[in-house]
Amino acid sequence: MTASGDSRNPDRLLEMENVSVNFPVKRAYPFSRKRWIQAVTDVSLGISQGETFGIVGESGCGKSTLANAMIGMVRPTAGRVRFQGEDLYTLKPKAFKAARQNMQMIFQDPYSSLNPRFTVYDIIREPLYIRGGVSETTMKDKVLELLRLVGLDEEDLYRHPSDFSGGQRQRIGIARAIILNPRFLVCDESVSGLDVSVHAQIMNLLMEIQQDLNLTYVFISHNLAVVKNVCQNMLVMYLGKVMEAGDSDTVFANPLHPYTKALLSAILDVDVSETRERILLQGDTPSPIDPPDGCRFWQRCPFAMQGCETIPAELVEIEAGHQVACHLISGFTQEQMDRGLHQPVSPQSGD
Amino acid sequence: MTSAMLEVRNLKVAFPCPGGIIRAVEGIDLATKKGECVALVGESGCGKSVTALSIMRLLRTPPSVSRVDKLELAGRDLTHRTEREMERIRGKDMAMIFQDAMTALNPVMTVGKQIDEVYRRHTNLGKKEARERTVRALELVGVPEARSRADSFPHELSGGMRQRVLIALAFACIPKLIIADEPTTSLDVTIQAQVLDVLRTMQREHGVSALLITHDLSVVANMADTVYVMYSGKIVERAAMQDLFTDPLHPYTQGLLASVPRLSDDKQAFVQIPDTVPHPMRKPTGCYFHPRCSRTSGRCEEHMPRLEALENGRQVRCWHPLREERET
Repeated sequence: MTASGDSRNPDRLLEMENVSVNFPVKRAYPFSRKRWIQAVTDVSLGISQGETFGIVGESGCGKSTLANAMIGMVRPTAGRVRFQGEDLYTLKPKAFKAARQNMQMIFQDPYSSLNPRFTVYDIIREPLYIRGGVSETTMKDKVLELLRLVGLDEEDLYRHPSDFSGGQRQRIGIARAIILNPRFLVCDESVSGLDVSVHAQIMNLLMEIQQDLNLTYVFISHNLAVVKNVCQNMLVMYLGKVMEAGDSDTVFANPLHPYTKALLSAILDVDVSETRERILLQGDTPSPIDPPDGCRFWQRCPFAMQGCETIPAELVEIEAGHQVACHLISGFTQEQMDRGLHQPVSPQSGD
Repeated sequence: MTSAMLEVRNLKVAFPCPGGIIRAVEGIDLATKKGECVALVGESGCGKSVTALSIMRLLRTPPSVSRVDKLELAGRDLTHRTEREMERIRGKDMAMIFQDAMTALNPVMTVGKQIDEVYRRHTNLGKKEARERTVRALELVGVPEARSRADSFPHELSGGMRQRVLIALAFACIPKLIIADEPTTSLDVTIQAQVLDVLRTMQREHGVSALLITHDLSVVANMADTVYVMYSGKIVERAAMQDLFTDPLHPYTQGLLASVPRLSDDKQAFVQIPDTVPHPMRKPTGCYFHPRCSRTSGRCEEHMPRLEALENGRQVRCWHPLREERET
């Protein structure tokens, strides 16, 4: 649970350096210009052993692609992913497979991520079975142990996913993810589809497992309240780029980027006594195909200035463990201001 | 109550299945006043959507079997209407906003044409006039470049835009009652805020009564005037929005409220209600909530409590409501 600071830290379990992931768009005509979806652009991060790292953003902002790149499911177009100090994408197939055992994922939709024809036993033991070298009896013992850990009955062993509710299915998904004793677990919107009362149960289960097994989590969510409650470090993404990153307490206490502020104010809270000022963002997230050169958020930003459109906003460290990519905060250079770009405004006048 | 826009008394819906009967809705009473937004909250499988569909008379028999003592919209009885008569009422006097805009809209018809249809059907407007009204309806819900957008197909629009089209569709003839079934569940937070804003302004400006069906308490807190909490097919609590959120009486309501993650929380374990919603075919004896309740007693296991009326129009169905100890 170290605060984020230096990006080249040997205790980092996972490091990403300037990772970009682009997907080609199918051409409309044979000789038309080739276009790219820039799903993730130039993201660097470091995750330490035992921490919970949050990734927030709207749908289509590249959260899931980033997570997939972390655990070796999508090869980045550029940049490096280092897991336990080794570059994941230059590993030989055998070593890659060994590294992959340490990183698992819990998917969003418990209805489509479990094979409906498999029994619970088949589903949970699958990773162990694929790794091989384990007898049927050990596998069964292990599966039973995990079933108890995630709060299911032994009787459930030979039932099918269709017999279970959403929350129970998610428990099966969790058991499957931890059977190989991974060190690193990605929860991609794992609780979003669940009912409120079940949501809390699964969150608590995940937190208990983390304590017991000393796991490192990456928690992807669009629910900022959840991220605030469980994550030590976080980053806010928009259209494939990091808008704001840092220690989650600092970011929530002092959100600087207009997008983070808007996200925070858009959350509907159940505290009826307290009324908060709302920043309503206009419009939808633009298409990630050939995004603007400048700040990706400028079209929807209520405080956009002239320079925002053309000059990319770099991620700048504002205070210890708090980085923001916004011209409002970092300002323009003298030369840029001479060209008639607006003076930067101080962060306080932003809200 | 003659001032009620919608009045439902003792609505029961059941689905006979090979393994037994699923009692989805077990005798609920609902009432909305003119211009009021009433929310029906509950977890999935508690019978919220079935309630909405049976108020719209959209449930077919079979598979469902339903009974209602009274179903009135603005004083007019709806129970004995034929399907033809209902078609004239739906869209004009009552309309529904569905959860999933992609499946609720016709994928092979432009959105403009789908809204035109409402006007062509319920008013005697010509083709051109209907399109004018459609464009105006789309502008009202904040669709930019409404005139050209009317010619796009649903798949060409984003989720938020599609939801706006559904709202425009529902408000096309300014109905007396709007039933919104999870209108923002599939949307992003920022888009959710936009869409709720539109829905609220439309509802308030036109004085339309709304029945909002949702599992999201934060949506309720931002929209509703009166809230009904539903559990396993029964209403367990009814209260004005402020009262419900500041002073819940039913342990289930309290549990639901506590389990919502809040921004004001510090890092701590989430409050949870143990166990899960009972299977609709195997509901427990007595109070349906007793196996999950922290205040349960012998009485709860044997008898289902009545929905007791309290002051300020509050109602609660519990043997041990949270107010007991405060009085003693």
